[in-house]
Amino acid sequence: MNTRDKVRVAGPGIRQSMSDLHTWAGLLLGWVLYAMFLTGTVSYFKDELSQWMRPELARQSGVPDQAVVAQRVADELGNIAPGTSQWSIRLPDARNNSAYVFWRTSGRSPGQQRAFGEGNFDPATGQKVSSRETLGGDFFYRFHFQFHYMPVVWGRWLAGVAAMFMLVAIISGVITHKKIFVDFFTFRWGKGQRSWLDAHNALSVFGLPFHFMITYTGLVTLMALYMPWGENAAFKTPAERQQLSAELSAFTQPGKPSGQKVALASVEDMVRQAEERWGRGNVGRVNAVHPGDAAARIAVTRGDAGRVSMSPQYMEFEGSTGKLLSVRDNVGAAAETRGVLYALHLGRFSDLELRWLYFLVSFMGTAMVGSGLVMWTVKRRQKLRNPDRPYFGFRVVERLNIASIAGLSVAMTAFLWANRLLPHPLEGRADWEINAFFIVWGLALLHALMRPVKAAWVEQLWAASVLLFLLPVLNALTTQRPLWHSLAEGDWIFAGMDIMCWALALLHAALAIRTARQAAGASSKRKADRHAPIAVASSEGAR
Amino acid sequence: MTHLAAIALCLAGFTALAFATPRQQRDIVGRALRATTRYALRVSGACALLFALGMLVAQHGWSLGLVMFSGHTSPAAGLVYCALIRLVRTRARPRHRPRPSAQSN
Repeated sequence: MNTRDKVRVAGPGIRQSMSDLHTWAGLLLGWVLYAMFLTGTVSYFKDELSQWMRPELARQSGVPDQAVVAQRVADELGNIAPGTSQWSIRLPDARNNSAYVFWRTSGRSPGQQRAFGEGNFDPATGQKVSSRETLGGDFFYRFHFQFHYMPVVWGRWLAGVAAMFMLVAIISGVITHKKIFVDFFTFRWGKGQRSWLDAHNALSVFGLPFHFMITYTGLVTLMALYMPWGENAAFKTPAERQQLSAELSAFTQPGKPSGQKVALASVEDMVRQAEERWGRGNVGRVNAVHPGDAAARIAVTRGDAGRVSMSPQYMEFEGSTGKLLSVRDNVGAAAETRGVLYALHLGRFSDLELRWLYFLVSFMGTAMVGSGLVMWTVKRRQKLRNPDRPYFGFRVVERLNIASIAGLSVAMTAFLWANRLLPHPLEGRADWEINAFFIVWGLALLHALMRPVKAAWVEQLWAASVLLFLLPVLNALTTQRPLWHSLAEGDWIFAGMDIMCWALALLHAALAIRTARQAAGASSKRKADRHAPIAVASSEGAR
Repeated sequence: MTHLAAIALCLAGFTALAFATPRQQRDIVGRALRATTRYALRVSGACALLFALGMLVAQHGWSLGLVMFSGHTSPAAGLVYCALIRLVRTRARPRHRPRPSAQSN
């Protein structure tokens, strides 16, 4: 058997197989993953973003008395949602200047299983806030795992498939990268594909524990949807399912009301008792089942701050008397494992510094996916027979890269512009903000398809930079909270948002300038290469 | 304050570990360092990282401490990486450009 035959029998090595798997697992849903990563990154500041998007709500200088706010909002709910079977109040805290409430509406339309009402309530008055209608930072948060314009379940399945591809890409990437420690700090400048690979490796390896954790825990958050069979087999009766539900969440399904009307006891007192247990300002929610009925139950839940677990901890009270019925401080080992993994993904336990670290490393993850997508084209461009007329698949990847990377920056900024520019009140205003995001993203794709590749990259990066740079100006013109006012008041949410916009504008401008220079360099090199044979031929002829 | 100390320790740790790798020694020092120096750099780098971990765990407990440690190591490694790129590029750049008159002569 000669050497060639041996090679044919042996086939590609494990590293080559893993490299191919890494390439294709990373590419096929890479654009979806990039969008999930970037919107997920932004979501670490979703509460702050929501505050910025509701400028009519006054700045919160300190955490309001949660017990008083709970009572005010509960009283108001008695007026606007009488007869509701369930309501839940997310109390204002250090990061939220309003109380978010949702409640079941009694009237169900035919064919609709459940109906809900929701709104943000002013902690000072207990009334529904009259700010502009917007989904705020929750849009990016929800888009991150369920997308939009499609049934929620489909979106979550798509996110799950993408996350599974990501997990495969991470594991195969680690196996492929044979010099993970030797090349830990290696970057070879100006070497084309090699430089891209070094940058991609650095972004991947430095944040590897985070990237693996965030992908795996992302799957865990929706595991009951992806793999319901174990749960279905183990928990069959309603009582068993109720028990499971109590291990996972403080929300209980309302049973049957007694039919006897009894006013709720003092919600304020219940929250005070919870504060004695968990500390002031550390109450998360107040959930009520059958409020106003003799069978009413109130659950006051612990907040997320400072504990790396999303497992429910709550105190349950009898609604009619305010008597403490039970305290849940822990759950079973399996439920706690899920609770810890869930908390690691959301990072809601973080203080400000840790939240920034989450943001930064997640941003590195976004750049890792982006650099991987770009590298696919950089690697193949060198092997093209005719770089001016690449094959169809190459063109598709190239154009999708532009729209999904640079175009997404433009679209996300456009969403914030829409928040400031759309009139209010406007019917379906929150939906129109989202429509603006998708219209601009669609236009970015159209632009990427119509323009030469390098020009499209540069123009979209510049567009994102200009839009980001002018956003604080727009904010100053359209609200009462310009940067100088925010700085004077010590309002770090509004000031931070303006400064962050300028920092991101600089980043996009730097990328645009670098891409433009590379484009100029590449085109002059190509011209030189085209003329080189002629020059050689003429010089040989002269001899 | 713990965060500042932790990031400083991680930066110091990764700097020591970077200088313990042959490529960085070649690029920055211009030659391979002695084996004992390399060993000392590796040990001190690892110790700095472990000390940062110990400090965070002592202050915040295992669960939060481990998460914070992971959060500090990634940007610290990234900062050292960027600083090394900058350093190597600055050294590679010629300090004085020859004047046009000198070229024509």
